[in-house]
This record gives sequence, structure tokens and C-alpha cells, in this order.
Amino acid sequence: MNYPVWQPFMLGGGLVIGFIAILHVFVSHFAVGGGLFLPLTEHKAYRENNPALLEYVKSHSKFFVLVVLVFGAVSGVSIWWSIGLINPEATATLIHVFVWGWAIEWVFFIVEIAAAFIYYYGWDRLDPKTHLLVGWIYFAAAWASLLVINGILTFMLTPGRWLDTQTFASAYFNPGMLPSLVVRTAVCIALAGVYALITSAAVGDVALRSEVVAYAAKWLLLGTAIIPFAGIWYISTLPSMAREISMGGAPAVTIFAGFSVFFSALVMAFTYFGPHRRPGHFNMVFAFLLAILALSTTGVTEWVREAVRKPYIIYDYMYANSFRVADMGRLRDQGVLKSARWVREHEVDPHALERAGEEVFRVQCASCHTVYGYNSIRFAVKGWSWSMIDYQLGHLDSLKGFMPPFVGTDAERQALGAWLASLNPVPASIRIEPEASNAKSQSSDATGEGASQP
Amino acid sequence: MNPVIPAPVPVPLPAPPWLLEFLLVFTFILHLLAMNFLLGGAIILSVSSYFGRRDSRHNGLTRRVSRAMPPVTAFTITLGVAPLLFLQLVYGQLFYTSSDLMAWYWLAVVFLVLLGYYGIYWYQMQHDELGPKAAWVILGTAILFVLVAFIFTQNMTSMLHPQDFYRLFMSGQVGTILGSVTPLNIARLAHFVVAAVALAGLGIALLSSRWRRESPELADWGRRYGVMWFMGATLVQFLVGLWFLFSFPVDIRQALVGQKLAVGLVVLGVLLALLALLTAPKSLLASSVAILGTVSVMAVLRHLVRLAYLRPYFDPHSLPVQGQWVVFCIFVVLLLAGIATVGWMLHVFYRPPATRRASM
Repeated sequence: MNYPVWQPFMLGGGLVIGFIAILHVFVSHFAVGGGLFLPLTEHKAYRENNPALLEYVKSHSKFFVLVVLVFGAVSGVSIWWSIGLINPEATATLIHVFVWGWAIEWVFFIVEIAAAFIYYYGWDRLDPKTHLLVGWIYFAAAWASLLVINGILTFMLTPGRWLDTQTFASAYFNPGMLPSLVVRTAVCIALAGVYALITSAAVGDVALRSEVVAYAAKWLLLGTAIIPFAGIWYISTLPSMAREISMGGAPAVTIFAGFSVFFSALVMAFTYFGPHRRPGHFNMVFAFLLAILALSTTGVTEWVREAVRKPYIIYDYMYANSFRVADMGRLRDQGVLKSARWVREHEVDPHALERAGEEVFRVQCASCHTVYGYNSIRFAVKGWSWSMIDYQLGHLDSLKGFMPPFVGTDAERQALGAWLASLNPVPASIRIEPEASNAKSQSSDATGEGASQP
Repeated sequence: MNPVIPAPVPVPLPAPPWLLEFLLVFTFILHLLAMNFLLGGAIILSVSSYFGRRDSRHNGLTRRVSRAMPPVTAFTITLGVAPLLFLQLVYGQLFYTSSDLMAWYWLAVVFLVLLGYYGIYWYQMQHDELGPKAAWVILGTAILFVLVAFIFTQNMTSMLHPQDFYRLFMSGQVGTILGSVTPLNIARLAHFVVAAVALAGLGIALLSSRWRRESPELADWGRRYGVMWFMGATLVQFLVGLWFLFSFPVDIRQALVGQKLAVGLVVLGVLLALLALLTAPKSLLASSVAILGTVSVMAVLRHLVRLAYLRPYFDPHSLPVQGQWVVFCIFVVLLLAGIATVGWMLHVFYRPPATRRASM
């Protein structure tokens, strides 16, 4: 409302962010876990005096650099780019609260990148001890960057005492921060295993391949074994409504939460019976299937984590449509069109209700809904009469717990209702009714709400 | 009509604006150094790769310079994060608005950078295998980066004109409004691209000294070649710079001429550039120090221009401040520790092989 609303046509803002974020999460957690995998495996190779294993670590480090430094870095920047475009108000708020946190994360990035290049280019230049140390520096910096960003991410769902104190410390050390850190660290370990399975499947020497495959599978099993316990701890810190949404309150979210558990179990089972028990039979196709399964797990889990935050983007502080909870009273009195800066109509013209209604949709609903594409509003109101729509709009937050309340004047609500009703053509059987206004008032009586006519 | 500018976030700034603006300009200078080597380097490599089809010196040079490009790309991106962070903090109301209006173009930046980054790796890893095609790969990459620079120029200029925001908003669909490509924007883009070529030339000359042990002849030639690019581009820059200066609207130019600091900086910047030009054939070190001075002076000047544009509409000093000093101090300590760590890693990486294996 404060900023022009960009509607990336069929996709919707949520899908644009989601698409980029899921790919980034899949790579960035590998950036941390792989950072642990490299020096530990290198150390193992020295300890066992195993030059073949050392050669494998070298080739894995090349893969690591190409995936992490390029895709990891650019996709991370892309998330920032997309949230700034789709939720500028929330992004600006986060930056005001956490700018020094991000500045600290930036320092860790610089160290991380320098260490990654020196580790990769240093195989033949540095003595083993120094090379290992550089590997450890990489991991320390990478995990520290996770430590920073994790607190900022959990702040959005569990801002805790910050709502009263507004201090950095209370924002960062929020209730979800520690359990989420454990979950994410376990994910890092598991993903280090997933990626190592891909590179180990490419190893030509059969004996070495079996050895590395079995070793990588251990990482994956260890990570996935920790996740459920840390996950339960994390879920225990969630606001009660967030738990309700994921456990039956909103069927789509519940189904996705179920998928998350199911996919994780599948990854674990496949890993146990595949590369762990029969490393000799493991191949690239299997490795990619596991990676796709792991990506799916990451995807649905991150989707659920985002979904349970509804109706907020910063819990109890800002709604998903960037309206601040504290501003709702003022918006109700003044109306959204008068308060919005980027609209073509500042008043509801009774003769052009739909036009004003579309503007109300743009500033209030378009951050989650598209008209025809993802989370389509046209589909959501299909078959609804105008009075049914009006009733729903009047009780959005109580009827659909994961949606913010409608805010605005009565005229704005009615205009939005009129525009929503116009999205779906009236069925032919109704169109031939002699008096359309009769049908409207009848259905309005049926709801028992007596919603006023525009 | 009053300009439409979004309301500020009702959370105070975590530090006074002067400190945030200092960090914005300082980290921007760091970003510029890496970015210049990347953008200018890709352009010079395109030309050199073309000649490298027949000339072994060009071929030797491109192979060696290409090895520096992936780390430079990584640092260009990461060093760019900090200034954009501070820009969003202080000027977010303007930046988010101008970005949203051109959202599709702005989002395209990250995809162009991703493609360009893989282009850099493709060129470096397959340098010899690509043969004559290498020139096309690096040229394509250079074009991607120039496109990125163009979109940045459009957005960074657009955010200085809040009086035009609402007109732009009404002129089309949010996300597709790139704004007009004015002569000023083209001059600004040209100024940046030419500067990048100059600095990359100097960077290549500096880099060539590292090839001395391996191939003294190539090292000498590489130094002369890099200096040639530097001097040529800097001479061109005197013309482009004048064009850029005279493309500014009269009121902005007058506002700057009225400031002793701004006039002093212009004079200092030009003098340092002249000094860099004159010392380049003799002492790369002196020339580098002088040009670093020019870049820093120009970055400060750029900030003064931004303030001059925004003075009628927006004053960052009017925003409420509540310092988060403890976490700021943690940042400073970690920054120093980070610089020391990177310094140590570079030290062990670049020390001669004999001492490299003996110690630790």
C-alpha cells in the first residue's frame, strides 16, 4: 500500500520468492554442510593415508565451488532482490531491525568466499596442515553466516519480546532461533551427504566408489536422524495458531506438512537400504533420484514454514499484505484507497464499483493472490454470489484463520465484492431470471447477515 | 503536484545517517574496484581473445587473466551487497519504489549475473578447448554485464526523481516501467564502462608482474598492454566525463558549483587521474594509488550529486535514530578479524613455495 504493487502475472509474488528461495535453501545448506564435509574427509584421507580418497575430495571441491560460490551466492542475492520487490515494507522493516546482523553476515561471506577459493586453488600450493586450516576457516565462516540469518528468519515467525522492547537482542534471540538452528545444522549435514552421493557416484574406481558412497550415506543418515527431534522442539516454540494450521486447520498446509514427513522418511529409507547397505550398487541415477527427493523435502518444508506464518509476514506485527497490525484501526476509519499511495482511484465511485474494487484488491490482496494464476482469486470465489462474497469479506479472519481481516470502509468492501463477483460469468440459468436484484436480496437474506447493497 | 513518496518505516534507524552514508560510500568503493576489473576485464578479454586466435602473446595473456576472473566475480557480487544494504536502509522509500516500477528488469539483473558468472567459468575452464569460440563466450559475458550496468544506471537514476514516480506509475503496468533512457543515463553508463576498462587495464598490468618467473617476455608485454588500455581509456574518459558533467540538469550543476567541497572534489579527481596517467608508464604503484584516489573522490562526489537531487524531497537526517551500538561494535570487531583472516590466508597462499612448505 505504501509501495507500488508489482503483480508478476500468473505467478504471484509468493511463487516467485518461493521458487528462488527453495533452490537457494537447497544449495546454501550444502554450502555449510559441504564445508564441514570437505575438511573432515580431507583429514580422514590423511589419517588413513588414502591418496585415492584425497583425489575424490579434490574433485568434490571443484563441484562444491561451482555450485556454492556461483549458484549459492547469486540465488541468495536473488531472494533479497525478490523480497524487496514483492514485500518492500517488510524488507525495509527487517533491514531497520537487523542491518548490523546482515553487516556481520556480510563479513562472514567475505571470509567464506576467500577461504573457498584459497581452499580450491590451494590443493597443490599449501601444505596439508595449512590447507586443512583454510577448510576449517571456511566452515566456521559458513556456519556463522547461518547462525546470523537463522535468527532473522525465525524472528518473522516468532518475534517474541521484540514486539514490546524493539531491541536487536530481543529480536535476534527469539523463541524459535535455537531449535531452528539445530534443525538447519542437521539439514546441512544431510545435504552434505546428498551432494557427496552425487560426486561419489561419478567415481570410476569401483572400490573407492563403494567406500565413498557408504561414507556419504552416513552423513545423510546422521542428518536425517537429528531432524525429527530438533523439528519437534522447533514446532513446540511456534505460535498456537501456526501449529493448528499445520495440523488440520488448513488442509493444504497439513497435506504439505505430511509430505514433508513422508519425503524425509523416504529419503532416510532409500539411503539406508540403498547406498548404506549396498554401496556397490549405487549409481548416478539413484543419486539424482535421492537429490530430487531431498529437494522436494526442502521445498515442501520451506513452503509449510512460510504458510504457517499466515496471516502475518512478521507475526503479530505485520500482515502478509504488509499492513501493520497497529495501523488497522486508522485504515478502517480512513479507508485503504485514501491511505494508499499507489492507486488510480482514491474514492469509491458508486457508478464504477468494479474499478475501485480492483484497486482495493491490488493493494490489499495481491501480495498473496493472483487474479487468474497461482492462488487465483477468480477460482476462490467461483460460484459465490455477491452477498456470499460480501459476508466472507466481512469475516475473513474468523472464517479463514490464515487470512488477514479485510480492512477498509463499507463502500470499499462492497466495491471489492462487486469486482470479485464480476470475475466469474453468471451461469446462464441465473442470467435469464427476470429480476437480478431479487435474486441478490434473497441470497443475502439466506446468509442471515443482511449485508448492505452498494 | 507533490511527489508521492512512501512513508518511512516506523522503526528508528539503528545508527545516525552520517555513519550509514559513510559505510554506503566506503563499501561502494570496494565494490567498484572489483566490478571495474570484472566488467572492464571482460571487455578487454573479448578484444584480446579475438587477437589471440593468431597471436600467442594475446593467447597467453587471456589464459592467465581468465584465472583471476572467477574470484573477481564472486567479490564483485559480495562486495556489492553491503552498499545496497545501506542504500536500502537510508533511501529505501525511494529505492523500493523505483525498483518496483521496473520490477521485471530489476529482477532480470540476478539472472543476467548468474549467466555471466557461469560464462566467466566457462571461459576460464575451457579457455584452450574453446579455441576461436572463446572470444564469443567472453564477449557474450561482457554484454551481459553491460546490460546489468544499464539496468543499475536506470534504477539508480530513477530513484533520484521521486517527483516523476506517480507519473511513471500512471504511465503503464507496475513492473514494466523502465523509465526513459535519457542522454544523462547514457553518459552515466558510458562513464562507468570506460572507467571499468581503464581500471581493468591497470589491473592487468599489475597482474602481469606475477608472470615474470614463468615468462618474463609475456610479463613485460602484458604490462605495456595493460597500461595502453589504461591510458587510452583514461584519455577517452576526459571526453566522456565532460559529456557526463554537462548532461546534468542546470540546477543540479549549479547546486554543485555552489559547494566548495564538490568543486574541490571534481578538481582533485581530475588531477589525480592526470597524475595516474602520467605515472602509469613508469610506476604502476604510483599510478594505482592515484587512481584509487580518483575512484574514492568520484564515489564521494556521486553521493553529493545524489543529495543535491534529493534535497527538495527527502532528507535522511530527518529520520528518527536509535543506535544499536553494541551490535555495531561486534560488527566492527568481526570486520577487523575477518580482514585479518583473509589477509593471513592470502599471505600463506602467495608466499614463495620454499617457505610455504617449511612453516606450519
